Amino acid sequence: MKNPAHSPRTLALVLLACLALSLLCVAYPIYVIRPFRHQGARELALALAVIRYRPLITILTAATAILALVASWRAQPLKWRRILSAAAAALVVVLSFLARVNVYELMFHPIAHPSFTAARQVKLDGAEKVIAVRIGPKARAYPIRVMAYHHMVNDVLGGVPIVATY
Amino acid sequence: MREVDGVRLTFHLAGINNQNFLMRDEETGTYWQQITGAAISGPLAGRRLTLVLSDELTLATWKSEQPQGSVLDDVSRYISGYAARDWDVHMQRAPTVLDFPEHALAARDLMLGIQAYGASRAFPYDRVLAEKLVKDHVGSEPVLLVVGPDDQSVRAFRNRIPGVPASAGFYRIAAEPSGVLLLDDATGSQWNFQGCAISGKANGLCLEPIPMLKDYWFDWRNYHPQTTVYGKGN
Repeated sequence: MKNPAHSPRTLALVLLACLALSLLCVAYPIYVIRPFRHQGARELALALAVIRYRPLITILTAATAILALVASWRAQPLKWRRILSAAAAALVVVLSFLARVNVYELMFHPIAHPSFTAARQVKLDGAEKVIAVRIGPKARAYPIRVMAYHHMVNDVLGGVPIVATY
Repeated sequence: MREVDGVRLTFHLAGINNQNFLMRDEETGTYWQQITGAAISGPLAGRRLTLVLSDELTLATWKSEQPQGSVLDDVSRYISGYAARDWDVHMQRAPTVLDFPEHALAARDLMLGIQAYGASRAFPYDRVLAEKLVKDHVGSEPVLLVVGPDDQSVRAFRNRIPGVPASAGFYRIAAEPSGVLLLDDATGSQWNFQGCAISGKANGLCLEPIPMLKDYWFDWRNYHPQTTVYGKGN
């Protein structure tokens, strides 16, 4: 007797569900977190939760999709349906890789290893604007010209770890 | 300050958030909001980074105050992407996603924002530059906004001289080589742009600096919906 759980229809639905879930995991944060769009607090928290859990979710959907594909292969002799199922499973696998990518982390270049020049030796024009910070006796200036590009510098000043943002 | 519970956090830029950004720390995978320093998703959600006081100054003014300081270097491979000095003029024309036309303010009007003493108040930047010394209140606390001798750098201080019960009347004079910029009529002292008295009865005392954010009106108003605005009758 055929196991109804392995009917081609059920497996196709499983594949589709995996695809839909993976697509949602990848697309929803992109939709919410994008430039020139206002984000409310709740949707932002939800988008970030999706970002945090989607590496795991998409691994599970990819594994499930592959299993469903394998199980349906024999039960589904029609060539075009096999191709369609394979394409869907492949897409789920691709999405599991995309779910690990945050395009903003690729696009922006915070300064990871800042270097500094003594005030007396710096060659910048005196009219350049800087963000000035002092911790104890240690003073540091972050020129806006640099900060406007990198947006962020992980630094340590006077023994205190700080992050300068712009 | 990027240390929480004794753990030093390393941040990455992880998203755009109402035209500010989101940060992710490597150590816990928590996502933080740049504009507030608050963690909004992840193991450290609900925590807040401690703000370190900073000033926006001209390099020349900063060098005169901190000749022993150090300046962040350009990163050579990215130099071609760095902004021209007048980038903010071009930015004035960029669109915004939020608009708050109260007080006849445009979204990209530059403000100096102070969130302190239980209140928020925004000071139109051009107006502060024009007045050079603003004597006002945030909440019920008297404050001073002082434009530096370079006519561009601005600092905010609480107008309470230690030992003096009420707020003092301050006057700004044309900058002198000695660094004297302000006089007060409560102690008859002379004060520099760092808010410290360098002569007179209050010699050696300093006014308490107040963190101030130079921000576009739409952004300040978005995160401080109860804000009042200097010069707009509230």
